[in-house]
Order: sequence, then C-alpha cells, then structure tokens
Amino acid sequence: MMDELTKVSFTNLEKVLYPKLELKKSRVIEYYIRIAPWMLGFLKNRVIVMNRYPDGVNKDGFYEKDAPVGTPSWVETFNRYSATAQRQVNYIVCNNLDTLIWMANLAALEINITLSTIDSYDTPDLVLFDIDPEPPCSFDDVINIALSLKEKLDELNFRSFVKTSGKKGLHVVLPIMKSYNFKQTREFVHQFGKFLARESDLVVSEFRNSRDPGTVFIDYLQNTRGKTMIAPYSLRAQPDAPVSTPLEWKELKKGLRPEDFNIFTVLKRKNDPWEGLLESKQALEME
Amino acid sequence: MAKDKNEAKQSHRPIWSGSITIGLVNVPVKLYTMVRDHAFSFRLLHKEDGQPLKYERVCIKDDKVVDWKDTVKGYEIRKNEFIVFKKEELDAIRAESDERIRLDKFVSLLSIDPVYFDKSYILVPDRSEEAYSLMMTVIQRLGKAGMGKVTMRAKEYPVVVYEYKGALILTTLLYANEVMNPADLEELSLLKKPGKNEIELAEKIIKDLSGEFDITEYRDGYRERMEKLIETKLKGEIVVAEIPKKEEVKELMVALQETIKRLRK
Repeated sequence: MMDELTKVSFTNLEKVLYPKLELKKSRVIEYYIRIAPWMLGFLKNRVIVMNRYPDGVNKDGFYEKDAPVGTPSWVETFNRYSATAQRQVNYIVCNNLDTLIWMANLAALEINITLSTIDSYDTPDLVLFDIDPEPPCSFDDVINIALSLKEKLDELNFRSFVKTSGKKGLHVVLPIMKSYNFKQTREFVHQFGKFLARESDLVVSEFRNSRDPGTVFIDYLQNTRGKTMIAPYSLRAQPDAPVSTPLEWKELKKGLRPEDFNIFTVLKRKNDPWEGLLESKQALEME
Repeated sequence: MAKDKNEAKQSHRPIWSGSITIGLVNVPVKLYTMVRDHAFSFRLLHKEDGQPLKYERVCIKDDKVVDWKDTVKGYEIRKNEFIVFKKEELDAIRAESDERIRLDKFVSLLSIDPVYFDKSYILVPDRSEEAYSLMMTVIQRLGKAGMGKVTMRAKEYPVVVYEYKGALILTTLLYANEVMNPADLEELSLLKKPGKNEIELAEKIIKDLSGEFDITEYRDGYRERMEKLIETKLKGEIVVAEIPKKEEVKELMVALQETIKRLRK
C-alpha cells in the first residue's frame, strides 16, 4: 500500500518535533502532504535549502544546502558554485510530492527557496521586500508599512503579493519577467525602502540601521543570487509551529497575529491567495 | 549436505589489525574471526498479529519507559543496593588498545591446558609476508606457542599464538580465576584407587576403541533438523511478514491519497 503512494519510507514518525504542542514528525509530514497542492508550484525548479531539526525545535537545527548522503536517486539536484560556501554545491530541487515528503521525513521543518529558478539562475523571477521589525515594533507597525508599500506599488501599477514570514515580519513579493539581474532587483527594492523611510520614522532603508531598536528594515539584500527566502507554506521552527502564510491584502488588518497562521489553521484556509502569482510576470520599468 | 547458509554469509573482513610484537620485532597482521556462531536465533513476535516485539527499559518503580539518555550504570553491592558510575569514571579505567599482540614467552604448544582456550582468530600478514612466514615456520618446527597479551575492545586478554594448517592462529585464554579448580569439588577428593585387574580390562576396551581425532565425524543433529524444518515451512506455510502499519502511517496514507487526487485535477 505504501509503495504505491510514495517512494519515501518513513522513519521515526513518533519523534516529537514541536514539544510545546507535542507534535510528532508524523503530523509534520501530514501537513506537508496536505499543503503540497498549494506549495509545490512555488518550489518547482528552485534551489532548496533545508533547515533541519531532527531533535525538534528546542534543539539546534542545521542548514543543509547539499543533497545529504543517502539522497535517493529520484530526488533532482542542481550543481552550482556557491559564493558563500566557496565551492560547488549539489543543491536539492523539489519538483514533486515525493521530494517534499522526503524532506519532511528528514525533519526539514523550514524549506527555503531561491528567488530565481534553475533555468535562469542569475535572473530572478521574484522580487522580495522583506519587512523585518526590530522590537519594540509591533506587528501592527509591520502591517502599516506593508500597506503603504502596497499603495506605492499599486500607484505604479505593480501587482504585489504578501505573506507572513512566520516569525515577526511580512514578505511582499513581486513576480517579474526573467529579464533583470539581482543587482537591478536589489536596487529596485532599495529605492522603495528609501522612499518609505522618508515617509515614516519607523522605516530604515539601510543595512547599518537594520538593528536599531523600534525600527522596521526593508531588507533588500535578500535579492542576491543564491540567497533564499522561506518558501510560502513552509513551517517555521518556532514553538507554536507557525507557517509562512500567503495572505489576501484585505486580510492585513490591525490586530492580526502571525502566530494565528500555523500548522493547524493554514490547512483550513479555503484558497491560496498566491494562486496565479507565478503567471503574473511584470516588467520592472517604472512608467 | 546442504550448503550452510550462514557460511555463505560469513563476512571475510578483518575485525582488527595491528602487530605481533616480540621484543623489538614487529609483524603487522590482520585478525579474522575463526569461530562461526551457528546458533539459531529467533525473534520474539506478538502471537496475535505476528509483529516483532521491541524491548524497552521500564523503571520498576513507576513502570515508565526510560530513555537511554536517562540511564546510568550501577553495580549491585547487595540486593537492590547500587553504587552508581558515571561514564567518565568507567572510561577512565578501560584498557587502552595499542594495536599490539605482545608475546613475551614461548611455551610448548602441547603443554597448554585446553581448559584455558577461549576464542580463536586467524592472523594473516598485513604487508609482512616474509616476517610472518618466518615466524610461522619456526614456531611450527619447534612445536611452540607464543604467549602474551592483547587489548581488544577495551579488554585485555591473555593469548597464545601458534601454527595451524599453514596459518598463525591467535587464541584468547581465560584468566586463571575464570576457571574452576577441580580440587574445590568435594566429590573428587573421595576417589578410590582402582585395582590392577580393573585397570587392565579398562585399558583393553579403550585400546580397541582408539582412532584418529576427526571432528567431522560429529554432526549437529539439532541444527540439521532445524534447517529441514525451516525449509519445509518456507515451501509450505508461507510466513506472512507484514509491514507494520501503525496508526500514524495509516493517517499519512489517507492524506497522501487525498493530495494525490487533488494534484491530478
């Protein structure tokens, strides 16, 4: 029965990965199986970096860029020089349900993706505005800033999408045509950061100020070749098992709490607000 | 005779490598297990569903399962009274392996009481064919066995090294205090001396039955019957080896079926 449905052989299903909720690995795998129809499209043809927590979220996890020893032959990989690792890395590519289940079985709670696809690794198809608050900024502050960003993007006729980071921030994503390099997308986001910083005292646009208490940094630096963002619908390694959840813009209201979007609630959502995102390829030129 | 299944599986990999050391002379060798464990082992199954049982460490006080990491070693000094050891304390007194078989004396092979023989290993040369061959030839010609000691797996053993069928054999020996002295048994101290006639008669019987030592004349009857039984069972009643389907796996299968259906749309 098992053989017909998946190539993955499950191991240590009883291992508790979220101790506060007493969530076992079987629940994590089930989550990824059930969310797969919404999630797989965003993983397709992208380099994956796994954050694995084999001993649960209360213990240290580890990043895994390389396909680990024992990676089954049916898992696709992508060999590329990594500037940060300074060597060739054999990255995992998740193009099917089995690979997603396999990663979940490795306790890869957090699944990160690049902003470009492997067929055009140097020209991204996603632009990321990572809105990252520094305490004591509240999530309401983050929401306000995201909404002003959207307003500005709307004015310029850009269609933008938003998701919770699963932690304290929000990610605003712009799907684009694969015609620009990372330097251009990075500069694009940086310009918006500078604009918002002029409008709001809370916003900082420069990396050197990103740790100033009570500020919100519009992080443009993620728009770099080989850098990753947490994938839409990935779990986070936080006690309450939050999920980086795509939202409708109209859901962003005062009082919204990022932890309300978690392993239990996300599966009950009726539809995927990011449906059609990958097809909405836009030109970056401002009119 | 049917080919022994365990024999086919027997791995031909050395279990240890090091050197025979006699004073300043070193002969690098690798060690192979000589004795095969022929015992049949059974797994304990649940009678109802035929699934293998696992062992768990259960605390006798509250009947709760205890994780390996929450265990320590205790030495029972009196009934239910223990002294507790930390891992570091036990590690500190373990014998250090220095990968040497140290021989310090040669004795007549036949003078070794067989009751002390424990486990035998075959030594093979490790890029030391000449030295190995020389040592083997010489001790064989002299009918000698080298005596000494070796440390393996943190335990120190007395050993003898001797020639057998064109190889050097290492046999671990038991320590003197591991072997009981027959004199300690009272029954033996009461033995009477037999009479002359009785001795002569008994000697005749034994002489008539004398022959050469040949271990292959002996068969393990239980083993052969067991093999036959297994073969019959394999042919006839098929032993159903079911993949254990825990509740959790079942739930995952339900989720998988639903997802696969959605993905096909």
